[in-house]
Amino acid sequence: MSELLLSARALRKAYPSGDRRIEVLRGVDLDMADGESISIRGESGSGKSTLLHLLAGLDRPDSGHLAWEGSADTGASRRARFVGMVFQAFYLIPELDARQNVLMARRMLGPLDGAARERADQLLAKVGLAERSHHLPSQLSGGERQRVAVARALMNSPRVLLADEPTGNLDERTGDAVIELLLGLCADTRTGLILVTHNAGYAARASRRFLLHLGVLQG
Amino acid sequence: MPWYLYLALKQLFPSGRRLPFFTLICVLSVALGVGLLVVVLSVMGGFSFELHRKMMDVTGDVQVRASDFVREPAALQAVIEKVPGVLATTPFAEGYVMIDFERRPAFPTIEGIDTTRVRRVFPIDRYLIAGSFDALDDDGVILSSQLAASLGARVGSRVEVYTPLIVEKLKADEVELPTELTVAAIFEVGHQQLDSSTVVVTLRRMQQLYGLSGEVHGINVRISPDIDADQEADRINAAIGLAQRDGRLKPAPGLAAKSWKQVNRDFLWVLQLEKNMMLFILLFVVLVAAFLTMSLLLVLVLKKTREIGLLSALGASRRQVALCFCLQGVGIGVAGTASGLALGFVFGHFRNDLVRLLTSLTGSQQLMERFYQFSQLPWHADPKDLGIVVFSALALSTLAGIIPALIAARMNPVEALRHE
Repeated sequence: MSELLLSARALRKAYPSGDRRIEVLRGVDLDMADGESISIRGESGSGKSTLLHLLAGLDRPDSGHLAWEGSADTGASRRARFVGMVFQAFYLIPELDARQNVLMARRMLGPLDGAARERADQLLAKVGLAERSHHLPSQLSGGERQRVAVARALMNSPRVLLADEPTGNLDERTGDAVIELLLGLCADTRTGLILVTHNAGYAARASRRFLLHLGVLQG
Repeated sequence: MPWYLYLALKQLFPSGRRLPFFTLICVLSVALGVGLLVVVLSVMGGFSFELHRKMMDVTGDVQVRASDFVREPAALQAVIEKVPGVLATTPFAEGYVMIDFERRPAFPTIEGIDTTRVRRVFPIDRYLIAGSFDALDDDGVILSSQLAASLGARVGSRVEVYTPLIVEKLKADEVELPTELTVAAIFEVGHQQLDSSTVVVTLRRMQQLYGLSGEVHGINVRISPDIDADQEADRINAAIGLAQRDGRLKPAPGLAAKSWKQVNRDFLWVLQLEKNMMLFILLFVVLVAAFLTMSLLLVLVLKKTREIGLLSALGASRRQVALCFCLQGVGIGVAGTASGLALGFVFGHFRNDLVRLLTSLTGSQQLMERFYQFSQLPWHADPKDLGIVVFSALALSTLAGIIPALIAARMNPVEALRHE
């Protein structure tokens, strides 16, 4: 059996709300194998994004254990190589053009070289934006921005791609195209994918599907 | 280039887009402060430089005096002139007199000079505004401009000079009549005290007026321009000490050389204090610019909250996020300081045209020349002053970036990503 790419055990997270604390996650367990795709659905406020942030190492659980490839090191420098993230609101840097936004992920690892620039161009070609690589985010449509964000997330060849409602700001047709792209690229590069979505159709396309309900993942 | 420097520069100066308003305002505010400091300090430096030059012209580079009189001026001059770096010497005697012209009295200081040697030490002709130095003989006198104006005397006028010797003789029941001298020339140095009450006569006449028999009050010394006056004064003192020990000079109480800086120490201190105060006060302009930069950077941090969350998601550490915003403060400081220096020097280049335009509009050109004795605005940019301005502007801009940088670094990435 191959080593687990990502392993979460009994993750718990609560947030203060007035005098009391609201328990969002009540012991989440999740294992992910290499190249696997997982979808997580749930109602608004069910804690999907919170779980994704914990899995990305952006936030710490109140209790529980998270490991990436068996290691508990989920710090910033490791995150740059291990995890790629795609957000509902794209989060492109407005001062940088599409190519510079993609290369920004690589800059986190050190100075750019020719190979990095070549990879950024290849990724932009793969997401169908080779001709628009020098356009600023403000000159791109919502779908195009999300495709740039996908290319950026894959720039450092991460082991896991975490997508938080990546179609939330897109129309149905563009959303379909972005999901197609995400699943296709992850399958081609054997990148693990965790997709948080409201859409049952998109969720169904993952190899394993979960529902986050009352702070627990249900298979 | 590290990503935080790259992003800081891109956010300040994005390529292919207009300069952001934020950058423009911050850079401009620092530039105005730095430009103002450069202009004020350089103009003050120019005035100060001119004053120093005039002081050296009036007192020489080094002055040798005794507690009372120098009784062997020729021997002393011979000793001083052998010191390496000394170009020329001239003796002088000084005191107070009463001058009367057409029943208008004045009480100026009087200076007796050696007309054959004085030009080697002082560029006296440079300051003459009427008459000729060559016309000065034992029956002549040179008046300072304001004194001549207050007496109503002109070149050729005959003035009466009363000395303390007349009073001394009266006490002994002797009568000595005042000396009548002809105004040979009128000078103006541009120094209020000198121009308002100074008269110059020949050394012989001065010695006669004061009853001196060959004694003088001191020796003025001109030295090579590439030598420090303080060090040369020390060398002259050493030479005088040696000459007194080996008998070439008789011991004279208090005989010592002082540089022009030591002679005018109090005045130079006031000038320096004035300049330092101006620097201190004007630095507040840069401080205000730094506060503006800080407040705009704080707004930028709030505006970029979600990007800060994104940078964390991409693998940025808190230290790197802080550096990204702190470097924007540094970038503003560098751009603002460079622009301010350019602005200041452009003003410096065209200063006389600007002053001419201003004075012609207000009709005050003659007034300015009369009060400041400068037909052109003096300018002297001291590298040390510029260094202080550059360092202060860069330091304050960097400090202005630190608080927004710390706020950005302390942001929780998850909350930043959720920021609306």
